[in-house]
Amino acid sequence: MGCATRSTRARVAREKSLPTPILQVRDLRTQFATDGGTVTAVDGVSFDLYPGESLGIVGESGSGKSMTALSILRLVPDPGRIVGGQVLFHDQDLLQLTGEEIREIRGRDIAMIFQDPQSSLNPVLRTGFQVDEAMLAHGKSKGEARARTVELLKKVRIPAAESRYKDFPHQLSGGMRQRAMIAMGLSNAPSILIADEPTTALDVTVQAQILELLADLNRELGTAIVMITHNMGVVAGLCERVLVMYAGEIVEQGPVEQIFENPQHPYTWSLLKSIPRVDALRHERLRSIEGLAPDLLHPPLGCRFHPRCPFRIEKCFHDHPHLEHVAAGQQAACWVTMERARKEMGADQLIDIRPGAASGVHPGELL
Amino acid sequence: MAATAAAVVVGRPVAPEQASLWSDAWRRLRRNRLALAGAIYLTFLIIVALVALVYTPYPMAGVAVAKPYSGPSAAHLFGADALGRDVLSRVMVGAQISLTVGIGTQLIVLAIGVPIGLVAGYFGGWIDSIVSFAVNVFYGVPDLLVALLLVVLLGHPGLDKIIIAISVTRWMDMTRLVRGQTLALREREFIEAARAAGAKPLKILFGHIFPNALGPVIVQATFGVPAAILFEAFLSFLGLGVPPPQPSWGSMAADGLAAIRIAPHIVVAPSIALSLTLMAFNFLGDGLRDALDPRSRR
Repeated sequence: MGCATRSTRARVAREKSLPTPILQVRDLRTQFATDGGTVTAVDGVSFDLYPGESLGIVGESGSGKSMTALSILRLVPDPGRIVGGQVLFHDQDLLQLTGEEIREIRGRDIAMIFQDPQSSLNPVLRTGFQVDEAMLAHGKSKGEARARTVELLKKVRIPAAESRYKDFPHQLSGGMRQRAMIAMGLSNAPSILIADEPTTALDVTVQAQILELLADLNRELGTAIVMITHNMGVVAGLCERVLVMYAGEIVEQGPVEQIFENPQHPYTWSLLKSIPRVDALRHERLRSIEGLAPDLLHPPLGCRFHPRCPFRIEKCFHDHPHLEHVAAGQQAACWVTMERARKEMGADQLIDIRPGAASGVHPGELL
Repeated sequence: MAATAAAVVVGRPVAPEQASLWSDAWRRLRRNRLALAGAIYLTFLIIVALVALVYTPYPMAGVAVAKPYSGPSAAHLFGADALGRDVLSRVMVGAQISLTVGIGTQLIVLAIGVPIGLVAGYFGGWIDSIVSFAVNVFYGVPDLLVALLLVVLLGHPGLDKIIIAISVTRWMDMTRLVRGQTLALREREFIEAARAAGAKPLKILFGHIFPNALGPVIVQATFGVPAAILFEAFLSFLGLGVPPPQPSWGSMAADGLAAIRIAPHIVVAPSIALSLTLMAFNFLGDGLRDALDPRSRR
């Protein structure tokens, strides 16, 4: 996952220059009615996914990235509800389908794999049988399913696939379980695979293998992958494009390389700064982001990141920014943007990253 | 790199006794002496009941095959009752009746409780409200009253009526258990994963949730059998059970009660059979509960 593969991938992405998105999410809104009030977990999210692409969605826990994914397949748990927007898959709005129709789409056209392979496999059913079932649900015969399962288990590099077929999930290692989940996800040759933090529960070496497997499958089968993660490293290793989510909104999106090299939203910038680097100087302190993720019951007015942003200006306190074009294929929702922060606020030399530190705008002074 | 790392994964040892959940449970059940004894006794009882279908030492309704009230002897191991009928033959047929009632009742209870509990627990909402209300209503009325009323209302006394009457007073425990299990299981991630794979609700209920609830369901059913047997014995003791000359352990005990001073064996034989059977089922149920409880892995 070095620089070489990344630039190859970027080149492939450029050459593809795909015009029609396979999935178009438009102004998606998902809310949870709680005792304290309404929480808008996904707040006007819009993005496109192109065939065969790998798209990363990053953000802290509670940023709405998982809920975005679950909303696409209409699997939002109670008491959550999708209250607005469109999810167009081949020009068909998934949000308007009947229960039966969306069930047909799930697993066949859009598959999903989850964070913890330990708990997402049914503990009392044999692993291979569970992979079979994903196909039986979509009209394959038992014999076909069985034959394909063994083939799939091989494809996801589960050793001794024939004998593993009969094993129960607890007899497999964590990595193998996640491989089995991926096999299940791929069983109906879906055009989109949504992976919700598929490597979070695994140890680092296994993580790398799973990511490599996903990248290979993405390349070989042309399955578009939506990778949901809080880990920028995972995005760097796998994705061509990335969406950065904060407090239920997309705050920045664009090609991975570009975002890594030149993030325009202070949140993205801070996220990248907080990645531990092997090549960093010893005395350089690891940067965390000051403050806590916002309470979505009472989201901050204006820009939702302003209470934690070192570069905030007065406008950020009361005006809500929207995604705006900042570079080729890159959009950010920020009144300042890092370009200005670098030029005018010396962002590159910044040591103090407390809210308002660089811009000198503090709430006390405002009042 | 993937190949070498994958090889490391293969090398992880898997304990042989983890072969499956069921073999694991069976291994633990075998270690429980009382449960094992219960299972052996019940196997014996089932064989006796089956044998009684084709053979009893004397016809179970055969009057005066022995001297009335005669005690145990070589020809009549359990002695004879007031009409000179062979008590052993009647206890054997009684086993048939008790097992039929116990198992029949539980089959009906399973047929009612499992689907209703699954649906109520999984879908919630008004379905759940109705089911919970019905369960509470049935818990509220005395079961003896309901059973007596049903036996009378259903007309002609018979084994089938008894089974129906007992089932009606016994379906709530199973329903509540399955509902509770479903409530807990439906939040599990593998159910979400199954839904994401496009599984239909019925498939999720019976293919994913029910297999996970099977342990507690088996335990509940095992405890339900002796309860039903006891209830039948009680109804028969009151004269509202199986019609004579069918020998139920309960009616045999009732018949013998009048002569308990001169011929205690008439009461003792069916009572011991009943007690042993109840104990065996309870020991087995206890053993199954421990064996199937995932938290008691030993």
